[in-house]
Amino acid sequence: MHDKRPVLTKPTVNIGRRTALKGAAALAATTLAAPFIRRAQAADVLYINTWGGPWQEAATKNLFEPFTEETGIEIRTVSPVSFAKLAAQVKTGVYEFDVTTLGGGDILRANQAGIIEELEPPYEGGLFQNGVASHAFATVLAWRTDKYADESPKDWADFWNVDKFPGPRSLQRYPARVLPIALLADGVKVEDLYPLDIDRAFASLDKIKPHIRVWWTAGAQSTQILRDGEIDMIGIWHGRFYEALDAGAPVAMTWNQAEIDRAYWVVAKNTPNMEAAKKFVAFATSAKPLAGFVTQGKYGALNPAANEFVDAAAAERMPTSPQNYPMVFEQDVANFGADPNEVSQRFEEWIAS
Amino acid sequence: MSVHTGGVQSRGQLWPWLLLLPLAAYLLVFFIVPLVDVAIMSVTEPKLSLDNYTKVLTGSLYRKVFINTFATAGLVAVCCLLVGYPLAYLMTHSSERTALLILLLVTMSFWTSFLVRTYAWMVLLGNQGPVIWFMELIGIEDPPHLLFTRFSSTLAMVHILAPYMIMNIYTVMKKIDPALVKSAESLGARGFSVFRHVYLPLTAPGIANGLVLVFVICLGFYVTPVLLGSPREQMIAGLIGHQIEEFLAFGLGSAMAMVLLAITMVILAIYHRRFGLDRLWG
Repeated sequence: MHDKRPVLTKPTVNIGRRTALKGAAALAATTLAAPFIRRAQAADVLYINTWGGPWQEAATKNLFEPFTEETGIEIRTVSPVSFAKLAAQVKTGVYEFDVTTLGGGDILRANQAGIIEELEPPYEGGLFQNGVASHAFATVLAWRTDKYADESPKDWADFWNVDKFPGPRSLQRYPARVLPIALLADGVKVEDLYPLDIDRAFASLDKIKPHIRVWWTAGAQSTQILRDGEIDMIGIWHGRFYEALDAGAPVAMTWNQAEIDRAYWVVAKNTPNMEAAKKFVAFATSAKPLAGFVTQGKYGALNPAANEFVDAAAAERMPTSPQNYPMVFEQDVANFGADPNEVSQRFEEWIAS
Repeated sequence: MSVHTGGVQSRGQLWPWLLLLPLAAYLLVFFIVPLVDVAIMSVTEPKLSLDNYTKVLTGSLYRKVFINTFATAGLVAVCCLLVGYPLAYLMTHSSERTALLILLLVTMSFWTSFLVRTYAWMVLLGNQGPVIWFMELIGIEDPPHLLFTRFSSTLAMVHILAPYMIMNIYTVMKKIDPALVKSAESLGARGFSVFRHVYLPLTAPGIANGLVLVFVICLGFYVTPVLLGSPREQMIAGLIGHQIEEFLAFGLGSAMAMVLLAITMVILAIYHRRFGLDRLWG
């Protein structure tokens, strides 16, 4: 039983104010909950935090299974992606997962907070804030074709135009993605977006607020409300849109003004599975596995070497393909324009009021 | 011999406490320790100060959400009473078979996972669900949106919590001596008068128990309001989750949790002075 102790009471954890409590908790956890502590398993198991849904299907087939085949390291998954858990793990020293992906806004925060490992760039230009650039995904404007049969919305200004396109709407409860969209709807040009004019963005959001029925928080939820027609228009991740389309729902989308996010693989700071974790991140961003992953998941590969293995038909559904990329815009997380935490708090208060 | 007896005696005094040990250890590890941890975090994250409490107690967002939480819990408790009281009455005053059937129906919904029940409401009240379909069928044009409103989350919470109310009132009603009602009638009291002056006061403990239980449980509801309600009518548990998940505001979230806990304890303390907490369990 004692072989599990070192993991729970890692010496690297900040020894401080809560040491006594932690000691007691760790001791008790070892005695009482030993069978449930996952570290009881063999050392060559890697725990990966995933987004679930179509993301996980693509990752399992193209990244996880080939990795296990090549290295013998078993992979288990924990879902959904949780930034809070990543932070809590480092704080408590109890690790639920070793590897996760973060979006552009979160990786800045994570790196500043020191909750991710320092990594080496596995390919040229592949490292940003200690995350390895993996794939791009987009927030796109999608709608119900049964609701807007005569004319389709074309851009975010149409999303805001409730006279021309009446009906309930939905956006993600995530200000870093919603504020740029609100500015575009208000007539700001893409090249003038960043740094964001926060006050103007909120003023623009005020106009659409009464028509937002759902501020979605989970990817599966966004697919469900679009597919079931709970809303008529939505800002949704493109992968989740295709999920609804492929399920036969009467829906359509545009790449115009789609908002690109970049996803980065990161390793949880001080994880006991460090070596396997780093090995996995390098593997997942290498050309061939990444190509398979983005092909199935319809993401855009950020390692240029992967594009060699992506065929043209698959590229049509990717935000970074030659025909789509000119229509989309990229987030500029380093040039956000305000303290993201303050903006988020303001956004929460705004939503609740 | 005397030594032996002494041994039994001291063991006899020790045994009941030993029996408590597993539970005490469990509560210590999985309840007291984390709770103390939360309390400490609320004054140390991000630095040692009472800032988190100042924010929670003075910030307009938090005040609004707290007020909404208590208003919702109160509304749910009253709705549970309105639904539960007649049902409990029916159970008490019908044949054993019928009573058993109702009891089975009530507890059956109780056994179903409340996540499942929450999703069931999403299906029922959804745009393509049977309720909207029926409204359209009987000619209501442009039926109202039911999902993601205060209506849908309140309805689901009443459904989930009504069994607590029903069981509480039922056990009290069951114990009422029918002779009391009969003697009231023989003394000349009429239908409603009997109910108002005899039956209702006799069931008051059940009502009070039910109200307090439903109210307190409802205060901490998380999943149902998050999934079925509107963001304008958030409850505190959802906000705590969001603060921690989105902002890593462990300190602020902990302070909110402590404030909620404190208010709940005050309510229970008042109830205890008035009725006695032990009555909550029948």
